[in-house]
Formats: sequence, structure tokens, C-alpha cells
Amino acid sequence: MPIIEIRGHKYEVDEDGFLQSPEAWNDEVACDFATTEGIASLTEDHWKVVRYMRSYWQENNSVPLARKLCKETGFTLQQLYDLFPSGPVNGACKLAGLSKPPSCA
Amino acid sequence: MERPLIYLDNAATVWPKPENVYHFMLDFYRSTGVNPGRSGYDLAQEAGSLLERLRGRLTKFLGGDVDAPERLCFGYNATDAMNLVIPGLLSRGDHVITTNLEHNSVIRPINHLVREEGVEATYIPFDAQGFVEPDTIRKAIRGNTRAVIVNHGSNVIGTIQPIAEIGKICSERGITFVIDTAQTAGVIPINMKEMNVDVLVFTGHKALMGSMGIGGFCIRKHVNLRRTRAGGTGVRSADPYHIEEYPWRMEFGTPNMVGVAALWAGQEWLEEKGIGNVYAHEMKLARRLVDGLRKIDKVRIYCCESLEDHLSTVSMNIDGMDAADVGVMLDVDHSVATRTGLHCAPLVHEQLGTANIHGSVRFSIGAFNTEEEIDATIKGVEAISHWVDTRRSRPAAGAPAVSN
Repeated sequence: MPIIEIRGHKYEVDEDGFLQSPEAWNDEVACDFATTEGIASLTEDHWKVVRYMRSYWQENNSVPLARKLCKETGFTLQQLYDLFPSGPVNGACKLAGLSKPPSCA
Repeated sequence: MERPLIYLDNAATVWPKPENVYHFMLDFYRSTGVNPGRSGYDLAQEAGSLLERLRGRLTKFLGGDVDAPERLCFGYNATDAMNLVIPGLLSRGDHVITTNLEHNSVIRPINHLVREEGVEATYIPFDAQGFVEPDTIRKAIRGNTRAVIVNHGSNVIGTIQPIAEIGKICSERGITFVIDTAQTAGVIPINMKEMNVDVLVFTGHKALMGSMGIGGFCIRKHVNLRRTRAGGTGVRSADPYHIEEYPWRMEFGTPNMVGVAALWAGQEWLEEKGIGNVYAHEMKLARRLVDGLRKIDKVRIYCCESLEDHLSTVSMNIDGMDAADVGVMLDVDHSVATRTGLHCAPLVHEQLGTANIHGSVRFSIGAFNTEEEIDATIKGVEAISHWVDTRRSRPAAGAPAVSN
């Protein structure tokens, strides 16, 4: 497995650069991965999304659909894109230490 | 209140299905859901009768050998059928010609045979409008070319290939010609005999208006496939080996009779509506969609300069946006269901240059879509395109940083 180093911390990641083991996640992981996503610092809004992603994953062992993410966090999709420039799926998943959801591409 | 979904993913599966299909599936399964033909009682014979009548009906619909309906064999879907047809035709040392338009249902079985069985393969590119030039196929033929396999209608860009011309070339050279009609069966008229098609692969859950879980192929009388599976047939059970006669030769285990019922009802619906009428409706909407998309800044449409010889499938991207993100926005903000990504047809995207931007956004229009839905879709794309502009012109949002 590839290992990346961010701000002096080493992480085992998958081929897409997502944390290999979601169980290894903590707040520091989110802060470190934020820098790889071009997010200078995490705001309360970012944490709201990340916390929701984590709790959804813990309950369902999967990632919420974008529609549900909007509904549960109260953000519009465009606000989510503003918060996570690479998108709620890629960006928020990465910060929350979750695998990239499978996709056709 | 959530807006009703605008379903534009009919190339993945046609949905909804005609009401008579739902009703007949349920009624048939409730009244006649027994194993067809395996046992002698009347109900089993009745179920078997629908299965055999469907073989004949579909053979006629596809222009196969109507005096040999047993050569229409059922499987689960087009991928399943291709996995019977391709290894059933090709052996070590054989050469196969196919195209960059193929779905993975063709690409992967061929690639496995190339890697593991010593089969040789040539992939023919399509031109700038999305068509394969028959003469390019002619020039690729070698002494050991055993088969030509062509996707009749692209599931990505919607172009319909010149099957009759390619079929003529194959017929003259004695090469087995296989077509994938996953996107075309039930959409445009097909006549295997007139088009010199030797094997036609179909799926049931798209424009044939059947259900998921049924598909198959129709094979002409002069062609044979090597059997690559074995098992129950319901006949001649004492034989230690699989039955060699069609359809048993290429069918294995209890068939999907709910799917058979769905396909039967789908045929009824198509016959009543007329596939020409359905196709005309879909293409009218496709033209409306393309005309609308063309007016939007930054939208790039693929292979739709002309909609002649085209299905109602349209692929596009918005410059500067990942296709998946556009799909998510269309879904969440505009209630439009599309398919984004590579569409299980990676070579199409490699040739279009869209593989490295995660494919494209595909709109695939069906029989039940309306002008209002197309207009709402165009507005949705317009809004996203506008949002891309405004997003570029301002810094990323976010409240002041907080420690957590």
C-alpha cells in the first residue's frame, strides 16, 4: 500500500489517495488531508460535514449520497462544492477518512 | 417538496416499463410460475409454450431464421450472452476484429481470450462523427480472421453503425458477423438475414421493454457455437453430457420465466405502438436536447453534429467540470438522473479524449420522456454552467477558522 506523508504524519492510502483504514481516522487526519485538498483551514461548516460523514459511515458502513448529505447537513450542493473544492464525494470522503465510493470512472 | 425525477438513463435500463409489462409479469408468474416444460402437467406445458412462442416471435422480430426458432437462446443479459458467443466462436490462433465503440461486454471477454488463449484482436477506431468505416474493417481482415463483432448502437455517443455494409463484407469473406444490439433492439428495425448478421446479441431490459435478468442471442442456421457451460436442460437427463441441439446447447438451468413474460408483454407493447413511432418521439426529444445544449456556453457535445443514424443518446461535458460532479448537481439540484463516467465503454472515452476527465455526462432519452423534461434538463445544465463561471470568479467560501 502507498504511504503518503503530510505535515510529518505518515498515512497508508489506497490508489486514489484515500485513507486505507477508516478506523485509523482522527481529527488530525482531517486537518492533514485538508491541506491536500487545497483547504487552508477547517471551519465549523467543514467539521459539520465531516462529522456527519463519519457518523453515517459508522451506522451504515457506506457513504451517504449527495442528496442525503445536503438534506442532513442543511447545505446546498453548491455550498458543499465551495467547502470541498473537489466535490462532496471526493473531498469530504477524503477528509472523513472514508474510501472513495465506487464509480464507473 | 421534491421535484419528480426526470429519468434520462434509459441506455442503462429503460424505465419505467409500459404498464402492461408489469401487469403481465405479475399475472403470469402468479398463475403460471412453474418450471417450463420440465414436467408433463398442463401448467408446465403452458409455461413452456410461452417460452417457445417467444423464441419464434423474437426470431421474427429480429429477422432471424423463422424456421429455426430454437436458435434464439436465452441468458441473463447481453454480457452473459457475449460470454457464450465470444468463447464459443474463437479459439487459439483465431483473429477477431472489433471496434473502439464496444461495451466491456465485448472488450473484456476478447481481452481475456487474447491474454489467456492466444487469440489475436484488432480494435477499429471510429471517425470524428462516431462511425466505423466499413472499408477499415475490410482492410483489417486477415487469413485467420474468424469473427467481426460490432456494437450496433453506441451506448456512449449514440451512433448507429452501418451494419448492412459490414455484414456484406463479412459474408463475402466467410467471416462470422456478430452484433451487439443492447441499445438498438426494439429501437430501430433489424433484419439479420438482410443485413448478413450471423449472431445477434440482445438484452431484455432496455428497449425490448422486458425486465432485468433476461437477454440472449439469435444465431443463424449456418453458424455454430462451441458450448462452454454444461448442466441441467430438463430433457434427456440420463445423458452424462450436455445436449448438443439448440436451444439446450446454449441454455443452462431453469430459465427466467418472469423475464420471458416481460419480454412477451414488451413485444405486445412495441407492436401496438410501432417502434418507428417510439423512435421518432425519442429523436424529436434528442434534437430538442442537442439544440438546447448547443446554446450553452462551455458545453461540449460529442458526435452529435448530425442526428442521422443516431439513437436518442447524447454525451456531453461542461468545460472545467468533472463529469461526475455535473451528474451529482443534475441529480440533487435539478432532479435529472443521468449516467456519468466511462459507461463501461473505456475505448470510446480514450478516443474522445475524455478518459482522463472521468468520462462524460450521458443523457439517454426513452419512450416516456417529455418535452417539458428535456427543457428542464437544458435549464439545469445552463444553471450549472453559470455556476462554474461564478465559482471561478470568487474565492472559496468558508467561515473563519476554528479549532476543533
